[in-house]
Amino acid sequence: MAELAQRRSVGLSNPGAWIGHVLDGEKLFGYVLVAPAIIYIILLVGYPFAIALWFTVSNATTAKPIAEFTGLTNLLAVWDDDIFRRALANTFIFTLTSQALQMILGTGLAFLLLKQFRGRRLVRGLLMIPFTIPIAIGAMAWTWMLNPTYSVINWIGVHAGLFTQGPNWLGEEYPAMISIILVNVWRNLPFSAVVLTAGISAVPQEILEAANLDGANWWVRWRKVIVPIIAPILYIALLFSLVFTFTDMTVVWLMTRGNPVGETHVIASYAFQTGIVAGSLGRGATMSLFLFPVLLVGALLLLRNLKARTID
Amino acid sequence: MAAIAQHRVTHSTAFRVRKLRNQILFWFVISLFIIFACFPVYWMFVTTFKEVNDLYNLQNNPLLFHLPPTFEQVQYLFERTNFATWVENTAEVGGAVVLITVLICVPAAYALARVRFPGSGSLGIGIFLTYLVPPTLLFLPLSQLVAGFGLNNSKWSLALVYPTFTIPFCTWLLMGFFKNVPREITEAARVDGCSRLGAMFRVVLPLSVPGILTICIFAFTLAMQEYVYALTFVSSSDEKMITLGVVTDLIRGDVFFWGSLMAGALIVSIPVAIVYNLFMDTFVRGITGGALK
Repeated sequence: MAELAQRRSVGLSNPGAWIGHVLDGEKLFGYVLVAPAIIYIILLVGYPFAIALWFTVSNATTAKPIAEFTGLTNLLAVWDDDIFRRALANTFIFTLTSQALQMILGTGLAFLLLKQFRGRRLVRGLLMIPFTIPIAIGAMAWTWMLNPTYSVINWIGVHAGLFTQGPNWLGEEYPAMISIILVNVWRNLPFSAVVLTAGISAVPQEILEAANLDGANWWVRWRKVIVPIIAPILYIALLFSLVFTFTDMTVVWLMTRGNPVGETHVIASYAFQTGIVAGSLGRGATMSLFLFPVLLVGALLLLRNLKARTID
Repeated sequence: MAAIAQHRVTHSTAFRVRKLRNQILFWFVISLFIIFACFPVYWMFVTTFKEVNDLYNLQNNPLLFHLPPTFEQVQYLFERTNFATWVENTAEVGGAVVLITVLICVPAAYALARVRFPGSGSLGIGIFLTYLVPPTLLFLPLSQLVAGFGLNNSKWSLALVYPTFTIPFCTWLLMGFFKNVPREITEAARVDGCSRLGAMFRVVLPLSVPGILTICIFAFTLAMQEYVYALTFVSSSDEKMITLGVVTDLIRGDVFFWGSLMAGALIVSIPVAIVYNLFMDTFVRGITGGALK
């Protein structure tokens, strides 16, 4: 013990060791190490969020960021904006539809990937590609594939006899909506498949065999055995996937810019259009803020899940 | 006896037929998924190497080459656009983001994973939750903040802002790595007279080098493929990073330079796709905060 104390006091002669010594209280040490992260997040996430809140009740523009308080003017104007209402509806339609398709296709894909077959790693790698390339790049590739004149999809469709001319995918309301959903599904399907594969393969084989012996068919096995076991994982993956799709503007912005006539905007892309392109910070921030309730619910659900997990 | 043998033969033939049919069905369905996933990449590839006369000729089968493949579009990308500058900017900004992320995440993750102090659990969850805050909620106020720093239309604005998403992601990923270093090792170092800081630098960090390298790779690739902040803060071509440059600068007015655009897309995609394929499970673990083991 005396030897230890001596070693420490010897350490005081060099500054590195001195810092180490001062920081040796466990509490202080912990706080000092986390401090940079917390300070950074307060400055670049917390503070901007506060500014965003201020923008929503002010008439700030990019030309005149120092603004006056205007109360609920922005909120009322945004709520009266038909394009915004459409964007709000679209956000939910796009998110929920693509999520549902992802879960259904993802489950099927997960079961295929769980089989042992030759070239499984290669197949898995190929199937992951949409998720691994940058979303902006993927959206651009699809924009080109759905080009009004040179659409390769229409060429294949026409030559396969599916239709005589093929829609102007990104130029008409419903085809454009379908295209956006399609790209979202394309992009996120691998994520769903990976999560589901990991979840399902974590289900103990004995339990499945027992269920099998008890005469449970595949639907009962899925519903009553697999889903309850993988629910916690599914839940987190679903939450993140939902939040990312819900708040994304990249796909819409690159593919349609919200056109035709604002029919494919989502909240995020219309907020960008209003706040950055048109320069109306107040209106744009008010629109963005509509994302917040959903994020808040997401955060609370996540919090509950995390707490439950730490108790386990 | 002969009848039984006969019966067995037909049985096994029926079995084999059924097995074969299942096999064919399996590969058919898998192929559909693969085509859906990979066709856009094949299409990028074809577009990149086609002669312009072939690409825009509606009489031709677009899936095939009718004129010999050409490097013209790639050449155009390298010689007539700022592509080289974008690559340079990506390296610089990506490097800065990696540096900031490592300097902030390593201590934070270490404290949250290995040090007992009041509130550490809540702080950890707080950091994780910021990952849910999307760029589309913050881009308007951040554009003003960035202007306030005098970084308007500068690539360095991105180095300032990108850690907002790399920090939560990388901190949680690193916490997993740090938790895997047995506590006994640090305790032994402490008994030998090492300070807490010393134990971290001399014992835990050297053992966590793979983890730290992993977060460097993720911080870089996340920064490299970001689009929303880049589009918001940077408008001059020579300040752009690679992803933004490729998807915005090859459109001049209404004219899309599809060949060169897809060439750029391919060049950006290949390295990122390889990295993410190798680290897919780690990546998913990072996104879900370790829900997936």
